[in-house]
Amino acid sequence: MSHGTDAAVAPAHWGGGVSPFGASWQKTMMWIFIVTDGLLFSGLLCGYSFLRTASESVAPWPVRTEIFKIWFIALMTFILITSSATMGTAVTAARLGDRKKATMNLLFTIIGGLAFLGCQAYEWTELIHGGLTLTSGKFEHLAFAPQFGASFFILTGFHGSHVASGLTILIITLIRYSMGKTPAQGVEMAGLYWHFVDLVWVFIFTLFYLV
Amino acid sequence: MSESTQGNPYRVYHITWVILLIITVAMLGAEMFHMPRWFLLLFLLAFMAVKAVMIGGNFMHLRYESPTLRWVVAVGLVVTSLILYFFITPESRHVLEHTTIKHAPAAAPAASGHGGH
Repeated sequence: MSHGTDAAVAPAHWGGGVSPFGASWQKTMMWIFIVTDGLLFSGLLCGYSFLRTASESVAPWPVRTEIFKIWFIALMTFILITSSATMGTAVTAARLGDRKKATMNLLFTIIGGLAFLGCQAYEWTELIHGGLTLTSGKFEHLAFAPQFGASFFILTGFHGSHVASGLTILIITLIRYSMGKTPAQGVEMAGLYWHFVDLVWVFIFTLFYLV
Repeated sequence: MSESTQGNPYRVYHITWVILLIITVAMLGAEMFHMPRWFLLLFLLAFMAVKAVMIGGNFMHLRYESPTLRWVVAVGLVVTSLILYFFITPESRHVLEHTTIKHAPAAAPAASGHGGH
């Protein structure tokens, strides 16, 4: 009887049955990774906030509409949100065993990710040709705090590198899933990472491009 | 995932996608209404939080996970970020107030030419 009592107490203590969080170890590990990676961006955004406030003593922060084409940034946001929706559809389709739908939506997500990276490459090229560098503090005829360029390239560069690694994961997942080597859970893990990339963009878009 | 057993399992993604786009358009259009700066900031931050919750809850399925996992994510990300922010921001104001370089370059050469005090 004592075994029965132990068995009843253990799940109640953990609150997650046989696993601490009521999720598979893969999903738990992915969430822990997402939290730690999210803190990296949290640190970068706090650093940006610090630089923006502190640099006012040296030179003003530029007016965002004079530097960025906001409609273009909106397009990039639209692409990333749409790719996140197709990724969610792919995850659910894979779980339901709809292999064709899952594959198609994974492909759409990859196309969306490539389009986003293409847009970012175009944006960077335009700004670099205009004279913006990590330390220059100028763009075309405008002069402003040199910390702006550093904040911009580091924040969007880190995010872009995450998009690139997410794309690599998605391409590998698509190939392996279509060959039957990756189960539905593998698609879900790739999806979690891709949604995280979208989540980070929500913060960068608001705090860097809009505020 | 309980959502996949009721009706169209993809509906939640379509609805979330539409809402996220509407919020994005609202955020972009907010500046056209000449509202006070503090209110605009509050508006943008509130919508940013709503978008983050929608992506985390619906796209990342966090709303279907156990409360323990949700708490780990919330405390790990949100609380730590807030602590980090509120430690760093006051220091930036301190730097701003104690930095002697001010952006007024036109007046500087004339003043130094007389070699005054």
